[in-house]
Amino acid sequence: MGVSSTSEFVAGLVVAGLVVNGEPVRVEVTPTTRLVDVLRDQLDLTGTKDACGRGDCGSCTVLVGDRAVLACLTLAARVIEPVRTIEGIAPEATALRRALADRGGLQCGYCTPGLVVRCYELGAADTADVTDETAIRAGLAGNFCRCTGYGGPVLSLLETMGR
Amino acid sequence: MAIGHRVRPDSWEARTSGAAKYTTDIRRPGMLVARILRSPHPHAEIRAIDASKARAIDGVAAVITAVDLPKVAYMHLGGAFSDRTVLARDRVRFIGEEVAAVAAETIETANQAVGLIDVTYAALPAALTPQQASPPGTPSIHDHAVGNVALEVNRSYGDPDQARSRADIVVTGTYHYRPATHLCMEPHSVVADWDPAAERMNLWVSTQAPYFVRKEVARLLELEMDQVHTHQVAVGGGFGAKAKAGTHEAIAAALSMQCGRPVRLVLDRAEEFATTASRHPFDIDLSTGARADGTLTHRDCSVVVDNGAYNHAGPSVAVFATMVAANLYRLEGCRTRARLVYTNKQPGASFRGYGNPQMTFAMESQLDELAGKLGMDRIDIRIRNANRAGDETLTGWRLSSAGLVQCLERARAEIGWDAKQHLAGTGRGVGVAAAIHVSGANAFEHSEHSAAAVDIHPDGTVHIHFAGADAGTGQATLLRQIAATELGVAFDDTAVTMMNSDGTPMDLGAWSSRGTVWSGHCMADTAGRAARILRETAAAKFGVAASRVELVGGQARCDGEKIDIGDLVALADESGRGRLHVEGGYLTGVDKMDKDTGMGHFSPAYAFCVQAVEVDVDRDTNQVRVVDVVSVHDSGTILNPAGAEGQVAGAVVMGLGAALGEELTHEEGRLINPSFLEYAAPRAGDVPTVRSLFLDGADRAGPYGAKGLGEIGLVPTPAAVANAVAHATGIRVRDLPITPDKLRGWGRPPVSPRSVWLRPSRWWTATIRWLYPRGLHRVLHRMSDRRTGRPSEISGSAPVAGLDRPETVDEAVTAYHAGAAYLAGGTDLLVARDQGLASPVRLIDLSTVRSLRDLCDTSAGGLHIGAAVTLADLRRRLSGPGPEPDRPDRTAGQAGDRSGDPAGPQPGDRMLVELLDGLATPQIREMATVGGNLLQQKRCSFYRNGFNCYKRGGWTCPCYAVLGEHRFHHAVLGGHRCQAVTPSDLATGLLVLDATVQLSRPRSQPRQVPVGALYRGPGETVLASGELLTAVTVPAEARRRLAAFEKLTRYEGDFAICSAAVALELDETGAIGDVRVALGSIAPEPYRATRTEDRLRGCRLGDGAGLERAASAWARDAHPLAANGWKVDAACGLILEALHRAGARAVGTDVRS
Repeated sequence: MGVSSTSEFVAGLVVAGLVVNGEPVRVEVTPTTRLVDVLRDQLDLTGTKDACGRGDCGSCTVLVGDRAVLACLTLAARVIEPVRTIEGIAPEATALRRALADRGGLQCGYCTPGLVVRCYELGAADTADVTDETAIRAGLAGNFCRCTGYGGPVLSLLETMGR
Repeated sequence: MAIGHRVRPDSWEARTSGAAKYTTDIRRPGMLVARILRSPHPHAEIRAIDASKARAIDGVAAVITAVDLPKVAYMHLGGAFSDRTVLARDRVRFIGEEVAAVAAETIETANQAVGLIDVTYAALPAALTPQQASPPGTPSIHDHAVGNVALEVNRSYGDPDQARSRADIVVTGTYHYRPATHLCMEPHSVVADWDPAAERMNLWVSTQAPYFVRKEVARLLELEMDQVHTHQVAVGGGFGAKAKAGTHEAIAAALSMQCGRPVRLVLDRAEEFATTASRHPFDIDLSTGARADGTLTHRDCSVVVDNGAYNHAGPSVAVFATMVAANLYRLEGCRTRARLVYTNKQPGASFRGYGNPQMTFAMESQLDELAGKLGMDRIDIRIRNANRAGDETLTGWRLSSAGLVQCLERARAEIGWDAKQHLAGTGRGVGVAAAIHVSGANAFEHSEHSAAAVDIHPDGTVHIHFAGADAGTGQATLLRQIAATELGVAFDDTAVTMMNSDGTPMDLGAWSSRGTVWSGHCMADTAGRAARILRETAAAKFGVAASRVELVGGQARCDGEKIDIGDLVALADESGRGRLHVEGGYLTGVDKMDKDTGMGHFSPAYAFCVQAVEVDVDRDTNQVRVVDVVSVHDSGTILNPAGAEGQVAGAVVMGLGAALGEELTHEEGRLINPSFLEYAAPRAGDVPTVRSLFLDGADRAGPYGAKGLGEIGLVPTPAAVANAVAHATGIRVRDLPITPDKLRGWGRPPVSPRSVWLRPSRWWTATIRWLYPRGLHRVLHRMSDRRTGRPSEISGSAPVAGLDRPETVDEAVTAYHAGAAYLAGGTDLLVARDQGLASPVRLIDLSTVRSLRDLCDTSAGGLHIGAAVTLADLRRRLSGPGPEPDRPDRTAGQAGDRSGDPAGPQPGDRMLVELLDGLATPQIREMATVGGNLLQQKRCSFYRNGFNCYKRGGWTCPCYAVLGEHRFHHAVLGGHRCQAVTPSDLATGLLVLDATVQLSRPRSQPRQVPVGALYRGPGETVLASGELLTAVTVPAEARRRLAAFEKLTRYEGDFAICSAAVALELDETGAIGDVRVALGSIAPEPYRATRTEDRLRGCRLGDGAGLERAASAWARDAHPLAANGWKVDAACGLILEALHRAGARAVGTDVRS
């Protein structure tokens, strides 16, 4: 559940209920508290990175419901659907993560959690076009990576999705 | 064995699962967060600083200014080159320079406190370019630097005069390489935790070189080096940005010492862009001489390096770059002149390649020009002049191996060079460029040395201790591979701790491509020593000679006898405390570089690289697309092929960014593109898969025959691309990056607007524009600066008091009051709030208003789109047929189910699909809404980034785009005081579909407004205060039109440079009947090209000349700025392309989107 429609923020704070990685949690938020800060600072889920704060780079990608969105532009108080972070997704994405490790899909690793979440969503969407390199590259347009030159992540995804 | 094999990178499990802890993830009990107060002036005296108000705030634990720090100048080079203090003392020299810092309980409190520090400045004249910084009459930036010259070096290698006299031909040219930023995904960050009892500073820091951080922090805070301790932490990218200490480490440490609590300091992305050290811009005058047969004789180069406000690596970058000029090919002589000039801008620093990419761009571009003049093949001329193994270069580099010729031959074969030479001028072309680079440089105190330790544990595992860092280069993996190889254990039985300075031998870290050679040797030595001890111990037990004992499979073996190496730990005399601890190292035998002459063999080995690229240049827009890259390397033995390929691919793509888009752009000393959005670096869709190839071969100087590799992959890339573009178009671009404006006139003839003299409506604007460079800009700039003091440096938006969650449109509009804001996707409002462009006191959440998410066909066959429908939902719906099986359509029940619709998407819908696919990123499309996209604010970089411009500050302020960077995102038609455009692609597309929007407010009937009448300025609309855009309707007949959308961007997902949408009907004869053409990002509002429409009516789609005339008919009304006239040509090209594709839909040749 989220914040009820008439809730007032007493001294700017309310306690909001979220479901994160399957666990119901209660967190303190102001109207403008970002989901990424709740995850990192209140729930110690630091796998979700905050590399730009402007929705430009994709490092903070999480699933809200079944959609990959940017936790840095998501206000925690508005979140109604369950949230899944890299910590929740990693155990289900081992094939992809191994492929990333084997195919040059990561170097410094800072963008990697966001990339894994986005790829996981791409895979879960199970649309026909994710085995096509052009479509995969377009699908990763929101995940900036400075280390790999993208060839590794694309290859990893092709390999994982191709099966 | 492990060497030469593919292994999964060290800590891959933690790095892919979110478990790895980076500095930004470190949490310490009682930790505070720090923020920095930065200079708003490019050059000013500091008269006074009053931090008392900041100190008085609850929640502020520490505030420091320059007086709280020892009076010690910071910088690694020392001596006269040390020109910077941690916090500015009496003067600030660039916008963003650190003036004071605060540590507080929360980031909000820290920001508030920073805003309360009063600094009295007296502005000084600023020198923003090397030209402005050169005498006479120039402001002096540093007292010690006469004429603002930080360093001037004139050198001769070989005999340049004699060589010149032998030249039959000399080619000269001037080349420019613009400043670029590293763009590490993890920003500069540090956690400092001072332990007063132990008098010990604990640091977790995102760095490539913990040693330099320790050394610098100790020096600056007057501590002993062994009081400063670095801890292991994951590092999120370096590329040279983190090769030396910055100022932030000392700031956090000083704050922690002041309050006795841990302090975290993480630069935000705008700070990262605007204040950290970047790649030095170079202006290079170069001439190259050759004999008629193509044998090079000499080079003469004169380089002006923009140092920015302080020396970081500037002096050594400038000098190293000029050495490269003498060393890539065999020459008889080379004369170099390097002038390093201070300017009032963010300083430059080391960045992958260290001056080499700049110089190689000039050299390798010019070599192609020379080959052209001589009528020689461009690869043949390189082979003729290539260095060979055994050569000593003009500056004394002794090449124990040199695979340059083989690299060239391999690249020729791989790219299909010979078969592609005929492409010249066709828009498709190939280019090649070569590079040489060091494998570590013996350039600093202690830099001849690397050291490490290993522990062998009784369970047979091997633990490596190494004081350097791995910022993603694969250093940790490599150390483990080497230890595993030397000790005969499995890779998985090794582990490594890096950066931990306690009890770990000193190492200088990862820079100068020294990781493989320096640290590799050092690890081989260390593990080799341990292996000897194990062999000797085993030999004693077996009663054989040590030389007969072999370490394999985690055991020592000889003649059928075997013992686990873990069991040898207890037996070895050298063991203690339950482990065998062995230290070792590498001492390079190479020269120290002679600081006066530049002579010396100061690297153990030199790597070579040749890249061949193929480009495709779009005839409509002149946009360059790289379709293939082959990078061939002589890096000796490749120790870890997977890691090597990754280093090359990453470096090449970084080089492609430098070639085609990346450029830090300043105006009045302020960076205008401090974000991923505005700085055009490549995304996945912008680049091909890089093909990395490695020559066989070994260099006797490297560990196992390896040479360096980390930097060289970026070095030749910009030149290779420029050479390919010259081949494809005949146009030689000597000024990076190669943006489409620089190829103007190639694909299409430039279109000329009608003379302004004949257009009285433009006289006023033309006069103002004429006056801008003649003093008007200066006057307005001064007024805007003075009147409001300074543009907001810190996002200090007032807190939002509440978030309403209405369920109906009525509740939403009733909840509205002055100061409130409707919140849809949040992808613009929250960013604008951060940029100081919106400060709502209350937010009204539209995501809970169910009717705003309606998405359905109307009874008449039109399309009704609720304003809060996300772009992704709209895309899914339009592409039909029906919801995807695993992705329930959230609008089901309200929306008409289209799964039974045999017709599938209509042509107009298809246009919207292609528009949506190119709009922003997948994640943004999941969040951003249709209404929010239409109503987003303008994207002008000046407006967005704190410039006190006309739209921010009012009529006394200038439009910074008139004289500033306006090539891409400003108007070419209809601009007046503001040159910004409406950024919404959707508005452009909906305009040709005759869409209307519905607007609601309390106690009134909703009104319908055509999209064409929605805008009254750039990103400004006719909405009244509190009015809510509730829906968009596309009429049925418009959906049936043949339509297409084209867009030109700098990178995939960027806002449009320009876009074109067309929607047309064909009459029974096949001629164009009713037609709409709209252009986006061309005018302040989405622009209907009615002159073009008039010309198109009656035209046939096969009538190329007629279409061409029609497509450019609108352009007579254009009134571009000085440097964006090219957009007019490109927009004409986009119209044509859109017409062709729309027409193709009629005959059914278009596959379904």
